[in-house]
Formats: sequence, C-alpha cells, structure tokens
Amino acid sequence: MRYFWLSLKAIFIKDIVTELRAKQVLPTMIVLGMLIVWVLRMASEAVLQSEAVIGPVALWIAFLFAGLLAQERSFATEQRQDCIYALLLAPVDEGTIYLAKLFVNVVLLCIFEIIIVPVVIVAFRLNINNWPALIGVLLLGNIAISSVGTLFSAIVQLSRARGALLSILVLVILMPMMIPATFALLLVFGAIPPEMTGTGALAFVGTFGSAVGFMIAFDAVFVVACWLLFGFAIKE
Amino acid sequence: MRKILLFITLVLLLASTWMALTKGRIEGPSANPCSPVRNIIYAHVPSSICSLACFTVLLVTAIGYLATGNESWDHVAAATAEVGLIFATVLNATGMIFSRAEWGPWWTASPRLISSAILWFLYVVYLILRSSLPGSKQRRARVCAVFAIIAFLDVPMVYISARYMQDIHQPSFTFDNPWQRGAFFMGMVSTMLLAAMLIWIKTDVLKIKSRLEAE
Repeated sequence: MRYFWLSLKAIFIKDIVTELRAKQVLPTMIVLGMLIVWVLRMASEAVLQSEAVIGPVALWIAFLFAGLLAQERSFATEQRQDCIYALLLAPVDEGTIYLAKLFVNVVLLCIFEIIIVPVVIVAFRLNINNWPALIGVLLLGNIAISSVGTLFSAIVQLSRARGALLSILVLVILMPMMIPATFALLLVFGAIPPEMTGTGALAFVGTFGSAVGFMIAFDAVFVVACWLLFGFAIKE
Repeated sequence: MRKILLFITLVLLLASTWMALTKGRIEGPSANPCSPVRNIIYAHVPSSICSLACFTVLLVTAIGYLATGNESWDHVAAATAEVGLIFATVLNATGMIFSRAEWGPWWTASPRLISSAILWFLYVVYLILRSSLPGSKQRRARVCAVFAIIAFLDVPMVYISARYMQDIHQPSFTFDNPWQRGAFFMGMVSTMLLAAMLIWIKTDVLKIKSRLEAE
C-alpha cells in the first residue's frame, strides 16, 4: 500500500511540477475559458433576462473544452522522446499511473475553476447564495470530465487527429452527466426558484439532491471502470 | 443453413409488413385522424429493441476480446456496431417523423428522444474510433473493446439522466385487435432475425478481408 502511495505521489508531482514550470496548458485553458464566456455573454446580450440560465451553460462549455485541453496534454507530453515506455517499464501498476494522471487533471481543472468561476459570476451578474453547493457540483463535474478524459487521452495518443478524436470520445460519454449537472447549476444560480423545483420549469424535473446523487454515481462508476480498463488502453 | 434462415427472415418481414398495412392498420386517436403515422410503431419499436440488443452484443464481444485476445470477437464487434448503427438510425428517423406528425417539432428534449439520440452518437463515435486508430490490429481491437465497455456503462446513465427532462413520449401502446398484435410480434421477430443475419454476413466478410490482408 505504501508503495502504491509513493508511486502515485511521484507521478503526480512529476506532472504537476512539469506543468507549473513549463506552463504548457494552463494559460491556454484559462484564455480559452475566458473567450468562451465572453462570446456567450455577447451572444446573450439580446436576452438579458436569461443571464442566470446562460451563465451555467457558459460555465460548463468553458469547463468541458478547457478540460479537453488539459487531458490531451496528459499523455502527449509522455509521447515526446518515448517517455511513455519509461513510465510503462517502471515497476508501477497501470492503475496507479491512471490515478496519478487523473489527480493531475483534477488539480489543473480546479485551478481553472478558481479563475473562471468569478469571471462567469461577474460577466453574467449572478448571485450565489449557496457556495458549498456550487463548489460541490463543480468538483463532481470536474472528476467526471477528468476520469473519462484521462482514459481516452491514453487511447488517442498515437492518433494524428488526437484532439478531434478525444473531443468526440469524451463529449459523447459525458452527455448524460451534463443534463443533471446543468440542472444543478441552474438551481444554484437561482434560474429555477426552489419552490418550482420538480414542477418542470425550464423543462427540467427532479430535485437538487437527486441531480447531485446522479453525479456522484456517474463519477463512481466511471472512475472505477476507467481505472480497471486503463491497462488495456495503454498497452502497445 | 444461412440461405434458409435468410429466406425465413424475408418471408416473416413481408408477412408482417402486409399484416401491418392491411388488417393490422392502426387508426387510433391522433392529431390528424386520417394520418397513417401511428403505423410507424411497427418499424420504430423493433428498431429500438434491436439497437439496444446490438449494444449488449457489443459488450459481450468486447469482454470476449479482452479476455481471450481472439480476433473473431473483434470481427463480430465491428459487424455488430455497423448493424446497430443502421437500427439506431431507423429508430431516430421513424421517431422524428412521428414527432413531426403528432407533436409538431422534428425533435424535442424528452427522455426517450435524448436516449435514442445519444445511442446513435455512441455507435457513430465507436465506428469513427475504429476507422481512425493507427497502430496494430490488436491495439485497435483492444482500444475499441475498452470504448465499447465504457459506452455500454453510459447507456443506463443516459436513461436515468434523461428523466430530468419532461416526457412527451407515448407511455405505452395497446393493440385493438389480434392482427395488430400479430403484425407487431412478427415484425419484432423478423427484425431481430434480420439483425442477426446482417451481423453474421458482415462478420464473415470481415474475416475474409482479414485473411486476405494477412496473405
């Protein structure tokens, strides 16, 4: 068990230090996120009353595409000078490599969130009454995006159209998660008043608790499945 | 053997179509009482069941390949995905025609409509992945098997998550006479047989292609 934690820590620190020193992807993620938010803010100018509706949508879109950038980098850096072979030859279980890469992606997306959430709040003039709920929903979404993205990043590493292929693989699997995730953020931002929850306002039905429950289940299923299947995906 | 089965499938398909268009014709309540659109159920429901069944077969072949490494599993998987995509396309196309005739829009955010659309996307992405992966055949087969398992896990998630949208879909369907019931079940059996035959033929084609490439 101790060896597992040591290996996990070693790979995690290697990736985080590399990213923080080289700043390969984080600045690009942040600028892309801000541009997405800005474009959607401009597009929503005509319908000012729906800011609380478009805000969560802008946040998830920025989040998904910035996440894809982070995930594409996870294994692309390992491909240079065949570092991936050294990683695979190391006496470390493939599942540990997956978990370390997953944590790196989660941390990168957390840093991204810390910067982009205030931007969205300011741009869309949103009011947040329940910060723990917002942080919880974003963290669950973060884990879902990173879990699937890290596995598929390993799958597409040899492909020439790596970015395009990764986008369609990740987005198609994340589609079911986006429905309750958007619904939960709409509730957090007050787009659906609590007394109207479950009545079908904005075509959504259900409660905040059930949406968060779904996200927890989604995260649990896909983190475990991706962890178990990672060994098959990474082998040459 | 295959020719006999193919003959039986075609006879059953023709018989069910004839029954559906004559004595089994559905004249139930509709936005437009003269519209024959409700008869689309004879193609829509069997396609829905076949596309889901194909996904289950895809899961079995994926597990089979990862467990044994036998290339035959991969051939069946490739064939099943293509056949599944055909049925998912029929499912969505017939659903859209029905939606337009009965409810007005071609598509709307409703649980079963979302689920069917995502099912179609999963098949398309699986086939794109198959065709765009470089490297050895073994790696492609392994990676596709991994995606098939993840995609299969996504299907129940899709069905649960879509429940967060309001449903306008037909809750259930009742038949008025035995002809309708007969046409429906005969159509179901013949469509399942057709799917099985198509998978069988396509698998053989892929096996021959693989053998020719190896020589």
